[in-house]
Amino acid sequence: MTAVLTNPLRVGLRQERVISPQCLVIFGASGDLTHRKLIPALFELFRQRRLPSEFAVLGCARRPWSDTDFRNRMAEAMAAEIAEHRSAWEQFAACLYYEPVDLQDPPTVVRLGERLDLIDRQRATRGNRTFYLSVSPAFYGSGCRALAAAGLLADPARSRVVIEKPFGTDYASAQALNKVVQACAQENQIFRIDHYLGKETVQNILVLRFANTIFEPIWNRNYIANVQITAAETVGVEERAGYYETSGALRDMVQNHLTQILALTAMEPPGRFDPESMRNEKAKVLQAARLANPEEPWKCCVRGQYGPGGSAERPIAGYRQEPGVNPQSTTETYVATKLFINNWRWQGVPFYIRTGKRLPKRLSEVVLTFREAPVHLFDAAGGAPTPNQLILRIQPDEGADIRFEVKAPGSGMRSRPVDMAFSYDESFGEPSDEGYVRLLADAMLGDPTLYTRSDEVEAAWRLYTPLIELMEESPEQVPVQTYEARTWGPAAADNLLAEDGLAWRRP
Amino acid sequence: MAAQLTLQAPQSLPPNELRDHLERLWNTGLEGSRGAATFTLVIYEASWLQQQLIRTGLLDGPINGLLDRNLIERAKAAVSSCGLPLSTAVMDQRLAWALGQRPGDHRADDLRGQFVDGAISVHMPRRLITLAPTLDPARSLETLVAAFCPLVDEGIAAAQACGDAVVLRGGLGVLQQNLALLDPLIEPGLPCWVWWNSSLDEAPELLEALALAGRRLVVDSSLGAPRRCIDLLVARIQSGQAVSDLNWMRLRTWRESLAMVFDPPSRRDALEHVVQLDIDVEGDHPLMGVLLAAWIADRLGWHLVSSFAVDGDGVGTGVGAEFERTDGTTVQFRLMPVPVGVPRIHPGAMVGLRLICEAPQGAPLCVILCSESGGCMRLEAGGMASMELLEEVVPVPDESEEMELARLLSGGHDTTNPLLAAAAPIAARLLPA
Repeated sequence: MTAVLTNPLRVGLRQERVISPQCLVIFGASGDLTHRKLIPALFELFRQRRLPSEFAVLGCARRPWSDTDFRNRMAEAMAAEIAEHRSAWEQFAACLYYEPVDLQDPPTVVRLGERLDLIDRQRATRGNRTFYLSVSPAFYGSGCRALAAAGLLADPARSRVVIEKPFGTDYASAQALNKVVQACAQENQIFRIDHYLGKETVQNILVLRFANTIFEPIWNRNYIANVQITAAETVGVEERAGYYETSGALRDMVQNHLTQILALTAMEPPGRFDPESMRNEKAKVLQAARLANPEEPWKCCVRGQYGPGGSAERPIAGYRQEPGVNPQSTTETYVATKLFINNWRWQGVPFYIRTGKRLPKRLSEVVLTFREAPVHLFDAAGGAPTPNQLILRIQPDEGADIRFEVKAPGSGMRSRPVDMAFSYDESFGEPSDEGYVRLLADAMLGDPTLYTRSDEVEAAWRLYTPLIELMEESPEQVPVQTYEARTWGPAAADNLLAEDGLAWRRP
Repeated sequence: MAAQLTLQAPQSLPPNELRDHLERLWNTGLEGSRGAATFTLVIYEASWLQQQLIRTGLLDGPINGLLDRNLIERAKAAVSSCGLPLSTAVMDQRLAWALGQRPGDHRADDLRGQFVDGAISVHMPRRLITLAPTLDPARSLETLVAAFCPLVDEGIAAAQACGDAVVLRGGLGVLQQNLALLDPLIEPGLPCWVWWNSSLDEAPELLEALALAGRRLVVDSSLGAPRRCIDLLVARIQSGQAVSDLNWMRLRTWRESLAMVFDPPSRRDALEHVVQLDIDVEGDHPLMGVLLAAWIADRLGWHLVSSFAVDGDGVGTGVGAEFERTDGTTVQFRLMPVPVGVPRIHPGAMVGLRLICEAPQGAPLCVILCSESGGCMRLEAGGMASMELLEEVVPVPDESEEMELARLLSGGHDTTNPLLAAAAPIAARLLPA
């Protein structure tokens, strides 16, 4: 994003909803997510004056820190951001507190309740609490139980709990976890976060589809030939080897982020924009989605793992050479798969999804390729006319392109493709908020529209169950194929589309 | 959103039994229902226009305080029959006054306060208190009480809670004399909004008594003498009271449209080189246009040097002013009243805006925003051949007062909008004495 002058006429025009007096309790406050995402997002909300004055953040973890320790550590981790907003940080830091809590140790949870009562009196937070479970997924269930046992989730109007991803590791574990958390709190208190849904451009899929009349009439099997959803990363596993070895690309990216994008792209228009209407439609479309070959998933899925790559001057280590990774690891860092959605709108339209690490570009996009014109009247400069495409660029260079044929200049009647582009940067010139800013604000507002409901999560896991079972029971049938770092994945992924006479878009 | 009737038939009670009855209502009458712990909304619902239209036989009853399509059509028809200029807005108090001079004695049920607009009821007010002054100034006080529950759609029902509606009806003087009844009815622990749904010129003592500090005041600065309206706004804002102005809220699409023009970074620089601002408004109520100009001046850091009245070509009086930009350059401002054949509902609605920017390099930029209902031929005329012209049509939101109020309630705002707080004092100085 280019640095530009703020539009002075834009300042203050956004009609923001007002967050009630509130205490946000972060479990796992000593972890990475807290200082990398959560506290920066809250600080951003504070600077945008969207937090009420009666507000507090209570960090909780097992470490015996004091309030001052917590404030100092957050300040240290955010030094660069704070340098530009020193006085705002001083005010914000005054509402940061810390309480040593072990969710497996009931007396500390009881003490937490007492501390919250004290904060209510000190900061007038009126008993409104949002509990954020940024802890190991193994503790989501027991954490909820501990909160419920201490009576901290008893009032559905004043307490809610945010649960980080991954929500389960497969369909059965997601179902089991849903049962546990729903026994502790009502569904409208449970906020399962998927930070992709906090991205402005992901939400724009909804606006583009449902606020315009030009797209929806052609947004179906009669006009769309196929859909490609790509999330490509240039980075490798970085410091997440421990987690990633147990997860892999399917669980880390596909089942949650990319499947949510799939749902937004393919869902029916809701009757209105409210949490239940939205989530009903998302759940319905996910329940109608199937792997292209659920009985023989190896025919519609490709797994890959990046090997060494780069140049002699700047070599890139392969996945198995990364610190913390098993040298014999069969964890996939790349997945490509083909899906169908069995409903009237999408019957027969293939959805291709791919994600991978160490690919040539960092980008996320949705590409809708339209059917060819029924008759080719004109010569095409490229031999055959290029099908129309609508490309929704989620990151970076957020925006959308429409590709269509025009007459190439000259005396003949040859066609060639051109792009009509919309860029957030050029149209608005201001950076959009980080996903966590939007999602944290929504959780504190009690608005679950952009959070996933229990049936959505289960449907998303069920969709990939045949593949997960195969990966666990007969991994040799979906072998992990090595691809050179900084290439577009294994050749088998290209073959997945080539069999249908198609090719991945090369962005 | 359709209006709803209260859950119960309203019960007429002696005033001194009001409070006890309300307590009993929640303890026994509505057993199992939860009273909303939300807010109290006090509405001064004069509805003079509706009452006069009904009295003169131009409109069928009941009196319900709602500004519906039928009422608007009848009022528009009455403008010409009363001999008023065609550009007189429906809510211009001169129309109700002119109707008041005509004979008639038609009567209708008075249901003010017994309709709860759906847009408002979804916010589950704990108590709606309506002050309903009657045309007959000597009419004695009636107090009515009823309960209501929002007619919620599927999916929202989980959060449903009920409230009650209290109506104090009688002559204006009678209402003023019985204001002591009101305070005990306002739940002390809940926010209280006071909506003065009438001209700001009338009953100033009653307004003072209702809009105590600590209560959130909602007014409409298009209703009443412009000087009185802006002075009241400024005084209340400067006293620290949370004030919302529906006239300011109706400017939302203009502020948004103008901001949109300058969203692309390539146009930002032009904002630093504005040399002229022109605004056209309907009829002779300049406050909406003045508020818009004041917002622009505040956002762009202009300093007001002088303001003066200008001749409005027979339509009324316009406003002229000179601002100074941060670089010392002068910006000329003109606000002109323009005649319109089909006036909008509120006096002084915006017709058009023109902003001329002369950057040192390149052709000057001329931005024209036109109301979709008015057009802006005057602003398009003359001298723009050499400029880069950018025109946008500003949509006219088709929303009721209640929808506007509901937007306020949904935001829960307990302070004055900072943009209004900054613009109102400039507008007060901009409006010629």
